[in-house]
Amino acid sequence: MAEAAAPQVFTRRASGLVRVMSPYSAFIYNILTMGVIFPWTYIWAPAAFQGSNLTLGILFAFLFELPIALAYAWLATALPRSGGDYVFQSRVFGGGFGFTVVFAFFVVWILQWVALSGWLLAALGIAPTFLGLGATTGSQFFTDIGTWAASANGIIIISVANALIALVLLVTGFRNYVRFQYVMWYAILISFAVVLVLFLTTDPGSAQGKLDVFAGKVDGVSNFYATARAAALDAGVSFNPPFWLWGTLLVAPIAWTSLQWATYSVEQGGEIKNAHVFRNQLFIIVGSLAATAGMLILLSLAMQKGIGEEGILVASSGYYLGNGSALIGGGYMFPNLIAMGLTASPLIVAIIGVGFILNSFQIVCNCYIGTTRIMVAQGLDGLLPEWFSRVHPKWKTPVNAHLAYFLGALPVIWGFNKVGEWTRWTLGVTFANGAVMVLSALAAALLPYRAAKVYEASPGARYKLGNLPMVTVFGILGFVLGGFMVVSFFFVPELGLAYSSDALPWYIVAGTAAVGLIVYWIMRTTKAQKGIKVEYAFAEIPPE
Amino acid sequence: MPLFGKKGKATTDPTRLFYASDIHGSQPTFRKFLNAAKFYDVDSLVFGGDLMGKLLIPLVRDARGTWRARLQGQNHHLTSPEQLAEFTKNLETLGFYWQEMDPEEYGQYEGNQEKIDGLFDVLARQRLAEWVELAEERLAGTQVTCYLCGGNDDTDEVLKALEDVPQDRVVNCENRVVPLDDEHVMATVGYSTPTPWDTPRERTDEEIAVVIEDLVRDVEDPSRCVFNFHVPPLDSTLDTCLKLDASDWPPTPVIENGQPVYYGAGAQAVTDALERYQPTVGLHGHIHESRGATRFGRTPAFNPGSEYGEGVLRGLIVAVRGGEVVGHQFTSG
Repeated sequence: MAEAAAPQVFTRRASGLVRVMSPYSAFIYNILTMGVIFPWTYIWAPAAFQGSNLTLGILFAFLFELPIALAYAWLATALPRSGGDYVFQSRVFGGGFGFTVVFAFFVVWILQWVALSGWLLAALGIAPTFLGLGATTGSQFFTDIGTWAASANGIIIISVANALIALVLLVTGFRNYVRFQYVMWYAILISFAVVLVLFLTTDPGSAQGKLDVFAGKVDGVSNFYATARAAALDAGVSFNPPFWLWGTLLVAPIAWTSLQWATYSVEQGGEIKNAHVFRNQLFIIVGSLAATAGMLILLSLAMQKGIGEEGILVASSGYYLGNGSALIGGGYMFPNLIAMGLTASPLIVAIIGVGFILNSFQIVCNCYIGTTRIMVAQGLDGLLPEWFSRVHPKWKTPVNAHLAYFLGALPVIWGFNKVGEWTRWTLGVTFANGAVMVLSALAAALLPYRAAKVYEASPGARYKLGNLPMVTVFGILGFVLGGFMVVSFFFVPELGLAYSSDALPWYIVAGTAAVGLIVYWIMRTTKAQKGIKVEYAFAEIPPE
Repeated sequence: MPLFGKKGKATTDPTRLFYASDIHGSQPTFRKFLNAAKFYDVDSLVFGGDLMGKLLIPLVRDARGTWRARLQGQNHHLTSPEQLAEFTKNLETLGFYWQEMDPEEYGQYEGNQEKIDGLFDVLARQRLAEWVELAEERLAGTQVTCYLCGGNDDTDEVLKALEDVPQDRVVNCENRVVPLDDEHVMATVGYSTPTPWDTPRERTDEEIAVVIEDLVRDVEDPSRCVFNFHVPPLDSTLDTCLKLDASDWPPTPVIENGQPVYYGAGAQAVTDALERYQPTVGLHGHIHESRGATRFGRTPAFNPGSEYGEGVLRGLIVAVRGGEVVGHQFTSG
């Protein structure tokens, strides 16, 4: 028997709250942040873990990230505010912990991503595009631009310009970015599809010949592929390794360096329309994770079809084993560069290049967007000077935080490209970023107990496994699985900190945490002298 | 009630205020507001307007003694008094009112906005009266004063509840200048400029300017006056919200070139008053999503925002001394 219709809600004329970014825009934002177009996995994992299965490794990363993403969906609906990870952790663990972790391991360490995005733009976007155009059109002018873009000075100039253009775009109105994001989205999708088609419509035999021709035009070399393969063999590559399950599991942390950013939209939770609605956050976070993982797996399968396991290992040896013979135009053989080598059409090269250039640009944009929201939240909480939280009256954007971040990025850009040891010093970046997300998963697990009222008022509170809140289940699972990946950055030499022969990179990670603690202590002490306790920013008042 | 309280307090100690606004009927949020006095160790609680809730949930009893209701797009069938109690507790967290009624009574309300508004007023006035009583009970024996006023969303009928019960610790500061401590006073204005929602207590910018002038005229030293004005200053970053098209109900966002349009929804009269009088501080609410701080000359102005629907009390602690803000802290409890 059908139930009687429920009565309607009575309303009156009262003001309401509306937010700006649609869930679809946030979904796109997450996918672009994960950088489907230049994942490291393909040039890092195969040579680092020979015998691993790249596709399976990406699938593991997806499965390991899934509970983290679900835990974030609970957090994002319970606390739909800008400054995401900082808000979650300060609420659950307390201000000192939340500030220190998120300021040190996100705000400070993401400066490295600003430099990296400039490098990506130069080395993966502009350089290969112009090298490809030079090769396909025979123009030396294009080749010279490509060569300059791959040089240290070229990368620095492009990186600073990249950061400056993003700064101007973002401070003059967030709507400008949201609008431009659609341009980036469709350009990147088209570019990605073209790369896939190129791999799927070729085979390893013909691909080797095409790469020989391409590298010959770019670098004037002959027998490129055979030379690169021989050098890879000498560098220690085994072209027919047996399947290695543990190695496949260790591919997951590498793929996770892309997939972990499925949760990045939480940093602007206060700007997402209906951010408190559960299905919206599932779509934004879990949906973008699934879509990106699917795209990465597709690309992996397409590469296997197009250049074979052997070709992937040759490409990977150029990055991981320093095989100089496996570089084209001085650049690593990322999927886009290989795909450009598979076509003779300048138009196809341009389409691929534009996609990569725009995705590189998007990376620097999301560095600003996420970290400035965190700085604004921390400024409002009194843990950074109020100057950081000020919003421009005309543009309605946190101009000061953007400017500070741009200025902070300049020395990092210089160091990244000019200091030979920089990469070793900053091996902790994967650990630091991952640690924030894993600790947020733990915050999710503890949310029902440490911020009970917030949790009880959230839409996720009704989901339980027996008597255990589902957010606790997913949070613990995410903490354990994410913890495996974070710990592997610590102890597996191929993955990060342990790669270094000395402890300096570890001290640098500890040093950034110490900086965070010192900033917290200074702000706390300064406020206390004015009769204000910063702890009040996070403490939940009991209603009774 | 000691109007110039703070006995035993050293004159060099700043006076600490806790400010919050826009709790819109939420029971736990108001209770947190009262507990903020002890929790944050402040001298006064200052509320900035919008006490009333926005939704009323009819709980329709059927012949079987069960209840039907609709909440957040979902139908609910409550089959026991325990379920009913849990449901109504959730409604009060969200700031909604509720009323049990039989199907015939529900039918009389359905489509009759005047009758619905009348029921809103009855329930909101009742809840506000309970809150005043609760404030008196919780603050009894303390030196803490709780200043309450209405906002643009509150009807005059409901605000009468501020005078309904005998008061000691609670002060109705609506459209008044009241003393805060030995050296500071506070002027309060609860009106807002016109909104797309056509709310009960809207005034034109010019009318608000007149109200402010009338109030401040009697203030001996405006630099030692706290301006508790519900509506924020125009285009100040404390008033940024989406532009809405009022030709639809509920109003919908204005989209230009595929993007929503933001604008400042504050009052020029407030901007002018802050610039002209340079008060100790400007405390504002109204725009829930525009939490922030700004400055007009020497005068800082704040909007702590609101998240009452999540049961979260967003607020601001301000320490004032000698006509200056010596410290402030946004809170989120």
